Amino acid sequence: MNEVRLLLSKDLWIFRNNLLLILRNPLRLIPYGIAGAYFFYMYTQRISGSKEVTSDLNLEAASEVDVAMQNVIGGVTALALFFFLFQLFRATKKNITFFKMADVNLLFTAPVKPENLLLYYMVRTILPSLGGSLLFLAYSGGQLARDFDVDFLGAFFLVVGFALFFFLISPLRFLIYTLHTRFGILEPLRAGVLGVGVVFAALVLLPGFMAPVFYEGMFAWISSPWFDLFPVVGWSRGMMSYFVTGNWLLSLGYLLLYCLTYFAVVKLVIQFSGHYYEDVLESTQSNEDQLEKAKGKKEVTEDAYSLNSKKQLALPEFGVGAKAIYWRNYVQGSRRDFHPLFGLYSIGMAVLGIVLAVLSPFDWFSHKVLYGYLVLLIGFYFMAGIGRANIGDLKKPWFILIPASWSAKYWNMIKLDLIQTVLFAGVLILPAVWIAELNVWLILLFPLGMIFSYLIGLGVNLIPQIGLDEGWDRILIKPLMIGGIILFGLVPTIFFSGLLLGVTGQFVYGLGAGVIGLGLVAALVTHVTMDILKRLEFKEM
Amino acid sequence: MLSVVHLSKKYEKQNAVQDISFHLDGGEVVGLLGPNGAGKSTTMKCIVGLLRKTAGEISIGGYDHLTVEAKRLFSYIPETPYVYDLLTIWEHMQFIAQAYGVKDWKPKALELLELYELEDKQKKLGRDLSKGMRQKLSICCALLPDPQLLFFDEPMIGLDPKAIKNTKNLFKTLKDEGKTILVSTHLIEGVESIADRIMIMKDGQIIGNDSIANLKLQAESGSGLSLEDLFLELTKDE
Repeated sequence: MNEVRLLLSKDLWIFRNNLLLILRNPLRLIPYGIAGAYFFYMYTQRISGSKEVTSDLNLEAASEVDVAMQNVIGGVTALALFFFLFQLFRATKKNITFFKMADVNLLFTAPVKPENLLLYYMVRTILPSLGGSLLFLAYSGGQLARDFDVDFLGAFFLVVGFALFFFLISPLRFLIYTLHTRFGILEPLRAGVLGVGVVFAALVLLPGFMAPVFYEGMFAWISSPWFDLFPVVGWSRGMMSYFVTGNWLLSLGYLLLYCLTYFAVVKLVIQFSGHYYEDVLESTQSNEDQLEKAKGKKEVTEDAYSLNSKKQLALPEFGVGAKAIYWRNYVQGSRRDFHPLFGLYSIGMAVLGIVLAVLSPFDWFSHKVLYGYLVLLIGFYFMAGIGRANIGDLKKPWFILIPASWSAKYWNMIKLDLIQTVLFAGVLILPAVWIAELNVWLILLFPLGMIFSYLIGLGVNLIPQIGLDEGWDRILIKPLMIGGIILFGLVPTIFFSGLLLGVTGQFVYGLGAGVIGLGLVAALVTHVTMDILKRLEFKEM
Repeated sequence: MLSVVHLSKKYEKQNAVQDISFHLDGGEVVGLLGPNGAGKSTTMKCIVGLLRKTAGEISIGGYDHLTVEAKRLFSYIPETPYVYDLLTIWEHMQFIAQAYGVKDWKPKALELLELYELEDKQKKLGRDLSKGMRQKLSICCALLPDPQLLFFDEPMIGLDPKAIKNTKNLFKTLKDEGKTILVSTHLIEGVESIADRIMIMKDGQIIGNDSIANLKLQAESGSGLSLEDLFLELTKDE
């Protein structure tokens, strides 16, 4: 096939040019080197550590160990299942693409067979899946080899099971969209995916309610061996569990099931996709935009998830100079949600927290779920801070041009976010403390934790964006920076927080230690951000 | 060379192109004019096979436009010049030569790169090119297979004045060589001097299709209007 030769040579050129780029700037290898050293260190540490002595376990504790193991297996399966269903559901909204816009412009109009192009690109997606699973094996392989005596076959099934799970998702998504464009059966497809989601929720909720304590029983069904028969998620689990069961025939059976499914999916895609170029145009363009945003060439749009984008506004001005930035954010916030200070998204998340607070006094529930939710929100605001640096004012020339001090501009840029955070945290924590009879210090600690977490997220994304010129350097150095902050800032924080929680058994002390640590990191990161902000320059493609 | 019969394209309920028919003879240069959103790019993308037509027939050199045989006959220069980030300019040429099966492509590639002042940038990666240089590379890639039919979608956007002049000269050269060209643009001056014929599109329909000379006559007889005035008159909102 001429197409395969053509595409293979193109990919080899790209691979070679990538290597040349790295050789031209070897410093870029530092993050990879650190990551490699870290994986090597983890591997050797885990393989040289002492093997857990299972014979010392007493029989009375056996049932607790079972519940813990059941929850670990069930939790991981549930996560994988949720991810899988979510990916399938996404396919009913937007097609997946294997192509780049350069392929659209240069290959789609060339005298090549569309089905050969599709086949090549579809098969090529195994590479990132395989790479990811090898990393996973390198990271956890040491411990597995030590505790479970993982041999070559065990490692093989681990890698293949992990890789095939991610590998099959893309062709399946493509098939779903193809069937939709061919037969217009979007609604039945969507209903099917949602139906499986409902069944899955029932598989968690029913055994949970049937058990004396909800969280002890919720994963009883999906962690049981028969769930290995569930397509894709179960097959991977069944295949990967070779190092526990030692049944190679069973793992081979799951591998065969995967092969048959992949063959069938590819056959169906090729049969029904026809002239698919139009189907992938939008998603290819959208991927290209995302890539350019990641490289910092293009601004991330602020209109994503806007609930009220066509709202007509007549807002008063808040003042001159940097306050114009706050006014612009206020207008933007008014269009994104139903109120700029407290909108629908905030209400939804606050209501969820209050519901957890209402449930927590019951015997079959636990305060721990509410505490977990609060910690999750603090983590979520870290991500929100990271996202904030990609959008809005910093990418506009006005941020540089407005005649005001950098500190004033920075303050006005984040002011609305901080007000929103304090309001949201207050609306959630005040009733939650009252209903669930929690420690009153949470009213102060929780909002502070959210704000500090947001500031850290904003800083760790902003500093490399401004400080590093090359887009790819940002991508490479940023994990290093985040790693440093995690290692020297967050790990000690979490350690002291966990220590206090363990010693006192009080969540409030653990959170208190965490917030003090986050506060110190936030202060440091904000100081660096303020220092580096004056180096901001306007970049456009 | 190109025949479009009753072509329609619908995006859900919106009619982007409504039942248009036209044909281009070999060696003809035709300008496809119209305001933004008239359906020019959609028409062109349907012809080159990037969009699925809702109805109609399109044939290129007697072949259905989606066949490999038809694709050997034409090249398409898109409005936005996406190139491979990690291929050099020269590798792009090599890639296109392979895709179209061009023999002895190197002298031709050099000639084209020289024309567009890219010969000293052969080793530059796609990601390091400015938008204008990408557009030039895109044109070079399109010309390398020496196609019989060329589709230019807004070719002048992003080019510097010298490259615009070069492109206009190139149109003349290609015309002299007997190539067929369809140029989509919303700028009349881009095609006025080289087009044999102008098709004016509005709201997905062709509302004018005549030679430049006839259109000029029509314009002048209508109280001394210029071609631009006539275009604005034809495409103004009711």
